Amino acid sequence: MLAIEVRDLHKRYGDTVALDDVSLSVNEGEIFGVLGRNGAGKTTTVETIAGLRLPDRGTARVLGLDPRRDRARLRPVLGVQLQDTALHTALTVRELVRLYRSFYPEGADPDELIDSLGLGPRRNVRFEQLSGGQQQRLSIALALVGNPRVALLDELTTGLDPEARRAIWSLVEGLRDTGVTVLLVSHLMEEVERLCDRVALIDHGRVVATDSPAGLIERAGLDQRVRFRASDDAFGTAVLDGVPEVISVEARGDQVTVTGTGNLLQAVSAALVHGGVVVTETRLERATLDDAFLALTGRSLTDETTDETTDETDTEDDR
Amino acid sequence: MTTAVRSELAPYRPGPRAWGMLVGAEAKMVLRDTAGLLTPIMLPMLILVMAGFSAEGESLPNGVQVIDFFVIPLVLTIVLSTIGVLNMPGFLALYRRAGILRRLAVTPARPAMVLVAHVVVSIAHTVVGIGLALAVAVLAFGANLPAKPGLALAVVALAALTMYSVGLLVAAVAHSPNAAVAIGLVLFFGMGAGGGLFGSPGSMPEVVARIGETLPFGASVHAVGAAWVGTAPEPRHLLCMAAAIVVSALVSTRFFRWQ
Repeated sequence: MLAIEVRDLHKRYGDTVALDDVSLSVNEGEIFGVLGRNGAGKTTTVETIAGLRLPDRGTARVLGLDPRRDRARLRPVLGVQLQDTALHTALTVRELVRLYRSFYPEGADPDELIDSLGLGPRRNVRFEQLSGGQQQRLSIALALVGNPRVALLDELTTGLDPEARRAIWSLVEGLRDTGVTVLLVSHLMEEVERLCDRVALIDHGRVVATDSPAGLIERAGLDQRVRFRASDDAFGTAVLDGVPEVISVEARGDQVTVTGTGNLLQAVSAALVHGGVVVTETRLERATLDDAFLALTGRSLTDETTDETTDETDTEDDR
Repeated sequence: MTTAVRSELAPYRPGPRAWGMLVGAEAKMVLRDTAGLLTPIMLPMLILVMAGFSAEGESLPNGVQVIDFFVIPLVLTIVLSTIGVLNMPGFLALYRRAGILRRLAVTPARPAMVLVAHVVVSIAHTVVGIGLALAVAVLAFGANLPAKPGLALAVVALAALTMYSVGLLVAAVAHSPNAAVAIGLVLFFGMGAGGGLFGSPGSMPEVVARIGETLPFGASVHAVGAAWVGTAPEPRHLLCMAAAIVVSALVSTRFFRWQ
């Protein structure tokens, strides 16, 4: 059974098309990334899966259940972290975690959970007095307090410093080990590359591509570069002639740059060994997911200037 | 295997423990909101002391004490309306604006549970406010407890329901916590002015007094007053409150937004 199955979602707010045919299939136990620029339709997708929004067309199923009709069966095993939600302002971290724990049939120990998110020293501080990063970590705690089978995490590490961000990433990796399915909405390449088994790239309300991070890079058909320093100034490029992965070789002094595709590093190394050439400082420069995103959508992930769609968080409700 | 999965995905609704925790959460929210906590206790007390001194020992021609027939109903109505019309809409609007209702909607709890929990806490708040006001009225100003407690309780409960309904109406039409407080204040003082908040209806122009007693505040003062001295409230006052409940319920259902 698929943990999450989304088919042909369409959603329009007035004249703005938020989702223009989104389909996703997430396997159980997988960490699945939804990557896209602001306004691409990520949040609308995740809120539809969470049952907060009704699509104009298409279906969403979580563990085979309809998020709205089968609410009472799905909610106990679904953990959700939403963007921009506040909590009872005057309650403390501990009071809030215990409150949300009481909503679920089973779940984590509130104090252990608070500690694991690094909120131990702030457990008796009111929500309104927490920093943005602390509020974010509390929001993650509440998504996980019911020991969910499926977790929807929207912009997991927004507002966190690098250290806290890495701690949260470890926590998500820990979820994978316990078999939890995670749908991770993000616009951070590093986060997605590190955590996700597969990624769907969303742009303008459409899924542009779905693959593993490495698969996306490969699919984008971006060249790789192998650089090395030849020990012999009189390095002859002929030794790399006929290697199918190699597209071009450029030698400048003893610095050699080989551009190519496929398993370039191994192919070049083998050819060099075969030709008896000794090289040092060999390094592979790979295209990043960011490069792949640019190649697949025509725009950079961080490019905000040409954004035509409206901010999703301000759209009308439909409950 | 199939059965195992089925039972694991069995429907679940939060039980008494979750209700208890939610009521506790609302109680903390109210207790930690000092202004909202004290207004429904201090404002009636202030009015009680002012009206109590001038009404002390005064009686109507039929022998009924003014403090029983007018001051106590006024003070109780102030408690009910400050909590129902001023406080409650502010909380509900805040919960909606901040996304708390939305956040609850993705848990096994329902957003409506937080509203019910808040009403429970509001009732407790009301009981404390009324209890303190009555204690001062009886001990300091010689007020009497109701001749027919059942009748008085029923009419006070109807008045409370009326004020909470009006509060829900305010929460439904207000788009922000600030708007909720502003609309609540206008309604509170508007209804109050015609209902005896600034002086007994007998000292008002006839037309103002007539309008005032059809509005929830004035209707509550008249009906509770009659019930407190053991007489049957006039049907028109009860009908006015019932009408306010029906209209508020219809408008709230139509316009209330969960997010």
